[in-house]
Amino acid sequence: MKLIQATKSRLVFQLGQREELLLLRVLSLYPCVPPAHRQLSKGGRLPEPEANQRLLDEALAEHRADNKKQLQALLADQRRFTHMETGAQLSLSPAQVDWVLQVLNDVRVGSWVQLGSPEELAVGLNEKTSPHVRAMELAGYFQAQFLEALSGGT
Amino acid sequence: MAATATPEIQPGVIQTTEDKSKSGLEPGYLVICWNDPVNFMDYVTHVFQVVFGWPRKKAEFHMLQVHEQGKSVLARESMEKAEHYVHQLQKYSLHATMERDE
Repeated sequence: MKLIQATKSRLVFQLGQREELLLLRVLSLYPCVPPAHRQLSKGGRLPEPEANQRLLDEALAEHRADNKKQLQALLADQRRFTHMETGAQLSLSPAQVDWVLQVLNDVRVGSWVQLGSPEELAVGLNEKTSPHVRAMELAGYFQAQFLEALSGGT
Repeated sequence: MAATATPEIQPGVIQTTEDKSKSGLEPGYLVICWNDPVNFMDYVTHVFQVVFGWPRKKAEFHMLQVHEQGKSVLARESMEKAEHYVHQLQKYSLHATMERDE
């Protein structure tokens, strides 16, 4: 994946055929972070902690539902990818890149959580772990490309 | 004769300092981001820039603090604002919480 064009309003990426398939596959795993994973406070010394935690859970659930809808629209939009002989071009606005980064990071963090939140990311591969390791690494690969593009790299 | 100032307290309402400190309106809540091994440093910097509108240098400073010291206090705010920031940071799947500043 390579950034081939960057303006203030649009970033165009060149992807190989396999990269396109992998990006779509990794995006389709969203959402991965378990809904009950996020805590509002560690110390638990907030007023009305249960009500405030519920507010956070609801806000995140609503956000996930919105993201899921946007993702389905993106995956269904044939014009988002311009297909060529050797692959495809993906055109996104900077705001859409930011949003795709959020989705990819959910897949990365969620996969890590499903691996038991290990301190060391080099997890041994077996039947149980390999889907999560693969998803975590793939999401990370695409995140790195998008982040480089946002920071002005080519 | 000068007028005597009368305290503006409504009948039946008892104001205490305890009520005031718990009102959630004064900046007494810390927004903290915690380290984890899975979020990329560049991603964390990007999120800080987006959520707080910080310049890259400031965002990098806090990202490095998270990375090297295990956490960084990103803001000290009223309860509502702190909650807002934690919601935003968690939407990006960062490990962020709010804690009472004591």
